[in-house]
Amino acid sequence: MEFSLLWAALTAVAAAWLGLRIWDEHLPDRPMDHLIAAVVIGLVAGRLVAMIGDGVNPLTHPADIVIVRGGVETVAASVAFIAALVWGARKTPGAVDAMAPAVLLGVAGWHAGCVWRDTCLGTPSDLPWAWAQTGSLVTRHPVELYAAVGLVVGAIVVSRVGWRLWARAGVALGVAAGIRLITEPLRPSLSGGPVLWYTAGILIGAVAAAAGPRFAGSSANHST
Amino acid sequence: MLRRLAVVALVVTACSAPTADITGGTDLPTITVEEFTSHLNALDRPAVVNVWASWCLPCRSEAPLLAEASKTYGGRIEFIGVDVQDSQPDARQFLAEFGLDFDHFFDRDRAIPNHYGGIGTPITIFFGPQGELFALHNGVLDERTLALNIDEILQLGA
Repeated sequence: MEFSLLWAALTAVAAAWLGLRIWDEHLPDRPMDHLIAAVVIGLVAGRLVAMIGDGVNPLTHPADIVIVRGGVETVAASVAFIAALVWGARKTPGAVDAMAPAVLLGVAGWHAGCVWRDTCLGTPSDLPWAWAQTGSLVTRHPVELYAAVGLVVGAIVVSRVGWRLWARAGVALGVAAGIRLITEPLRPSLSGGPVLWYTAGILIGAVAAAAGPRFAGSSANHST
Repeated sequence: MLRRLAVVALVVTACSAPTADITGGTDLPTITVEEFTSHLNALDRPAVVNVWASWCLPCRSEAPLLAEASKTYGGRIEFIGVDVQDSQPDARQFLAEFGLDFDHFFDRDRAIPNHYGGIGTPITIFFGPQGELFALHNGVLDERTLALNIDEILQLGA
């Protein structure tokens, strides 16, 4: 059992729960259930895509699906999470917008959970707050904490976006993708990270925020 | 519903890599702890040692990552596999399936991971250029952990 991963996940859940307590306007019924269901669907989808990409057949090795630490395809997981969240809250217009700041706070919690997993560090740095991993003299950027701080700020910014259908959700997607894109060069990586997908996330978020109300019509707009 | 499931199953099966057909090949060389440490000390460059077994499910998950890392860093870092508690035919099939084309040794009794204090399988051990132990990671690897520790042992050798 990977307890450090579990602690990181619990940190994310606690942060999302806190977000739902802080920004509780227009929420659907049982918003935490919506979020957790969407996260589970996202994880399974991301894991399946990662397994297939690695040449591991999920049908012949079904037990591999639960080995989350073996790799989760971030893009597939994110797309499945968003789709599940939108689908789950489809009967409550604006529910995804209402949950958007809490989702960002949850993602911030996941990044901050690096302290449990000992995975905060990135590329070498001489900055005063950089630190070294055990047994090393090389100090490094705590890149995941940078991302966590950015996402908390992003959640606050998103919570201030005016009430229009898809406006907060779109800005939240753009903020999440943008923070991953900005911090990606500081992460140790073999492949360089999915920077094109992060860029696509920013664009899709911007389009959703700008064009959503037009497709939804004025009757779906909210007022506070 | 059944038809949909059948279509999904067909797609997933089609998208997965075929199982390698291994009918021949040579056995992995067996190695003692003493021979292994001597081998490491003689390398004069950093090393990543992955302890695996063909029956180990997490090993399947991390194998593609190690294959990619060995292709990228193989010129500067020695990648070594240690197959534990396994059979030679299963080991050959595993290696062929994942294309892990670096050196592998056979350690039926797990003497090498036990020597370094590793627990379970898989284990990945990172060594500096003089064969000094830098880090030992119990359990399945993720890309970040692998990339970070590779960067660390490369800096030890710089």
